[in-house]
Amino acid sequence: MTTKLSATALILALGSSLSLSAMTTTAHAADDVKCYGIAEAGKNDCAAGPGTSCAGTSKTKDQANAWKLVPAGTCTQTPSTSSPTGFGQEAAFDAKS
Amino acid sequence: MSHQATFAKALLAPGQICPDGLFSGNGADPASRFAVHRNTVHNGLINALAVAYPVTQLLVGEAFFRAMAGLYVQACPPTSPLISEYGSTFADFIQGFEPAASVPYLADIARLERLRVRAYHAADDRPLEPHTVLAALQARADLGTVRLRLHPSVATMASAYAVVAVWAAHQTEGGLAALDPGHAQSALVLRQGLEVKVFAIDAGSVTFIQRLAQGEALQTAVERALEASNDFDLHQCLTLLISHHAITHLHLDSKVSP
Amino acid sequence: MTPIFAHTSSPAQAPGLPDRAGLGLKHEHFIEVLETSPDLGFFEVHAENYMMAGGPFHHYLGLIRDQYPLSLHGVGLSIGGEGSLNREHLARLAALIERYQPQAFSEHLAWSSHGSVFLNDLLPLAYDSATLHRVCEHIDQVQSTLKRPMLLENPSTYLQLERSTLAETDFITEVIRRTGCGLLLDVNNVYVSCINHQRDPSAYIDALPLQAVGEIHLAGFAEDSDSLGDRLLIDDHGAPVDNAVWQLYEQVLARIGPIPTLIERDNQVPALSVLLAEAQHADWLLTQVRP
Repeated sequence: MTTKLSATALILALGSSLSLSAMTTTAHAADDVKCYGIAEAGKNDCAAGPGTSCAGTSKTKDQANAWKLVPAGTCTQTPSTSSPTGFGQEAAFDAKS
Repeated sequence: MSHQATFAKALLAPGQICPDGLFSGNGADPASRFAVHRNTVHNGLINALAVAYPVTQLLVGEAFFRAMAGLYVQACPPTSPLISEYGSTFADFIQGFEPAASVPYLADIARLERLRVRAYHAADDRPLEPHTVLAALQARADLGTVRLRLHPSVATMASAYAVVAVWAAHQTEGGLAALDPGHAQSALVLRQGLEVKVFAIDAGSVTFIQRLAQGEALQTAVERALEASNDFDLHQCLTLLISHHAITHLHLDSKVSP
Repeated sequence: MTPIFAHTSSPAQAPGLPDRAGLGLKHEHFIEVLETSPDLGFFEVHAENYMMAGGPFHHYLGLIRDQYPLSLHGVGLSIGGEGSLNREHLARLAALIERYQPQAFSEHLAWSSHGSVFLNDLLPLAYDSATLHRVCEHIDQVQSTLKRPMLLENPSTYLQLERSTLAETDFITEVIRRTGCGLLLDVNNVYVSCINHQRDPSAYIDALPLQAVGEIHLAGFAEDSDSLGDRLLIDDHGAPVDNAVWQLYEQVLARIGPIPTLIERDNQVPALSVLLAEAQHADWLLTQVRP
């Protein structure tokens, strides 16, 4: 019931508060807005994803055994929520091979 | 088993199997030539995943990523010649992949990257200009009955981790400093014109946008959003959608179904 | 089997593609192509890379198509597959052709799908009567669905199949005779396959129905070796066209005159200017044989 009332109130307020200037503010000064940290600097080429190929590959790379590997990229620079050290775990998983 | 069935099976098998019925004119071991096809299939698909999941790869490093992607290729080879769609279940695979468990947010980063590729290639429905949407909404007394149709590129995801912050940190030099992936964050992905954009949004906005996408009227969508989060800010969320050209239709007559 | 397109002298000579050099269009070059409008005969794209609903790929291809003739090159139809053609995929292809009205459509003499799995590689066929029958049936189906003749590309191969009873050139000749399709002569594939199987590339070309050639492909290869240490060339489209392939190309042109010629580069894609220089070289060679 409370939700319903406040929803109605929000929508009622909307008609008068929506404006073009508010649009501009949100689009350009998003960091000031409570919930919306805009991150749109992404490299759009990557978003294209892969394409097809009709070409062969010659490089005979020995496939590493993923079960023996440890993540070793930028994750080691961010605090980890699960590891005892607080950073990316360095211990290999030997459970499977 | 037919010849092509045997050939296909050997291509995807983990070992170095070479099917029967093949030979080299010079008498060389056909296995040494069959390896060309095996490498083309595996490298080609692993490369395809590396292109679609660049931040996922950066997070775990190339060696780990390629080994993990190689197992995915064997478990889930493509079922369509549209390689841009390959890997739609990669995030779920990562979620269950034990050696990646030390990076608990990895699967959600992969989910976010999949949404970006999806948005990039989504249909070109023509968006409404912000002033058109505003003029229509401001003139209504019964705003609660309005239904909005969203652009086909629009997608949201909720995460227990700071997915947008982690992803954004990899878009700029030095972005990793002071990053804390351990707080919940949700993402909105859309394509505005030719550009795919990613926004951090709150849980209420995720519910709101999902409800709108399901064709619910504004009133119901707002009620559900407030149930999801008391902090839901309708004005802010709607402004975000309108200003980034995420709305393609307004259904002002409540009797018209979307 | 009734040919859908009667085998006249030049069955699938793509009427619209000019007898000039063209380039494979890479998304890395979309904007530069539009900004600089390079002097090129045509662009070619992989059909499967434009089967998505919308977005930048369609945006840019539409703009580039307005300025250049277009060749659509399929890599996923699995013409040589044991199973029936994927109807859904064929329908997507028909829609794409309807949208962009390309001057030519081509596919490969190979298979790439089995059951529900797409293997993302062009795999070798057994050249026997069963395969011949199946390939011709599939090409008939493609041509009648698309309402136009297609070009069939000769493959790069690394292996031979014990079941084969026909030479590859005889197989191709018979497919073209029965279906009325044209030949996409990939000169690099000829060279790669002939080195890999210790054959004479010139003799291979002599054995093909050259009057059916509607387009030529040129690309670079990578070099590896097999268990005996013999040269194993790989059609990787990752290097400039090799001198031996240019020479073979000149021989072909001397025989049949100018033909639309594509420079393909799909791996380690260099700057557009590098590819344009290769296209210019092909254009110069084409000029030499122009009557």
